[in-house]
Amino acid sequence: MNFDWVTFGFQIVNVLLLLAILRHFLFRPVADVIARRQTETDAALNAANKAKAEAEAATRKALAEADATASARQDVLAKAHKEAEAQSKALIDKAHAEAARIVAEGKAAHERGAHDLEEQALARARDLAAIIAERALTAQPQDFGSYVSRLIASLQKMPPAERGALLKGGNLKVLTATPLSEDEESLVKSAIAPFDIAPEISTAPELIAGLELHSDSGAIRNSLAHDLEQITEAMRDDRPN
Amino acid sequence: MESSPFEAGTAFTLGPVAITTPVVVTWAIMAVLTVASILMTRRLSLKPGRAQAVLELIVSTIDSEIRATVPGDPARFRALIGTLLVFILAANWTSLVPGAEPPTAHLETDAALAIIVFAASIFWGIRSLGVGGWLGAFAKPSWLMLPFNLIEQVTRHFSLMIRLFGNVMSGAFIISIVLSLAGLLVPIPLMALEMLTGAVQAYIFATLALVFVGSTVSEAGPGPEAQQKEKTHD
Repeated sequence: MNFDWVTFGFQIVNVLLLLAILRHFLFRPVADVIARRQTETDAALNAANKAKAEAEAATRKALAEADATASARQDVLAKAHKEAEAQSKALIDKAHAEAARIVAEGKAAHERGAHDLEEQALARARDLAAIIAERALTAQPQDFGSYVSRLIASLQKMPPAERGALLKGGNLKVLTATPLSEDEESLVKSAIAPFDIAPEISTAPELIAGLELHSDSGAIRNSLAHDLEQITEAMRDDRPN
Repeated sequence: MESSPFEAGTAFTLGPVAITTPVVVTWAIMAVLTVASILMTRRLSLKPGRAQAVLELIVSTIDSEIRATVPGDPARFRALIGTLLVFILAANWTSLVPGAEPPTAHLETDAALAIIVFAASIFWGIRSLGVGGWLGAFAKPSWLMLPFNLIEQVTRHFSLMIRLFGNVMSGAFIISIVLSLAGLLVPIPLMALEMLTGAVQAYIFATLALVFVGSTVSEAGPGPEAQQKEKTHD
């Protein structure tokens, strides 16, 4: 076995030369590109982590702002609610005061109207009383004898059939407003004597003045009360609708 | 194939210097690797193609192996270990080229590789520990271990050389014998096996070189993983 030292030397040089070549043209460029990619990956990862941290911070900030907004909203709502309650209370109080004022004014107006109406009613009553009194007094006889005369005249004016029915009806009475004296009673009896009747003479204060002849068949009205009724009826008919 | 596997034939002479066949084949391998490296790395980008991805996978794997064996920056040993791996692999696989003989099937080439690893271990040992520290490392754990450590330094690199030479030379020798006896197609299975053997031997040589160099970097010597690797490959 021969060991060729020249070949040995050549191979040492060859391997060292190849080492330098591969180091320069193969391992270093490839390692550099790997390192560059790793650097960019790290940078991208750092950027992503930074962006993530920023996003998380932004999220926290947004949540805090949302909480603050919600709190402010609650405050605003509470304040608005309080103000609304105050305004509502003020409006209600004002409405109550206005209503009380209107009621008071209405009551006062009502009282004034009632007073005016009462005044008007009194005035009208006075006028009516004056009219009625004037009419009644104008139509009334001046004394008891005149009442008797007017009764006899009314009796005579009646148709004979009606007069007969009246006079022959049962329970024939002569009603007077006041108890009669003997002269007045004699006057009445002498006045009705021609008619051949003997009525009972009794007192009816509601007649006010005068005397009337009543039987079950009818009556001859001849009193102040009857005249007043007639006047009142006539005035009721004259009242405008 | 020469008549003896232990003798390298002369390809040509440069004056008094005889240039042997392994040297010429080595130059061819160097040329191919150089051209291939230049072509494959001239357009590197951050978005790698298939060829670049393969290159990055190789470099990353080498870095990973170095990192697992020697603490620190793997770039220190990347070129040495990577060159050993690539060159031995290419040299072993030249047996597939008709008429070519692997340079690693000759003792001079393996001796050159082993002496480079030996020199690298001394260089990195002195660089890491200083001359005193490197020499003192031979006396650990006791002065009694000094001769054994010195002998170990020589023998383990010698074994590195012999292991590669024996495996590659025997494979190439067997293939040549079978080829001369059985014809053209019969050696193909043996050639496939030789490819596998060549790849394994390249990996073993590069890994052991890494272990030997890395063991001198630290006073603590190689880590448990490196020791396990050396034990397994022996």
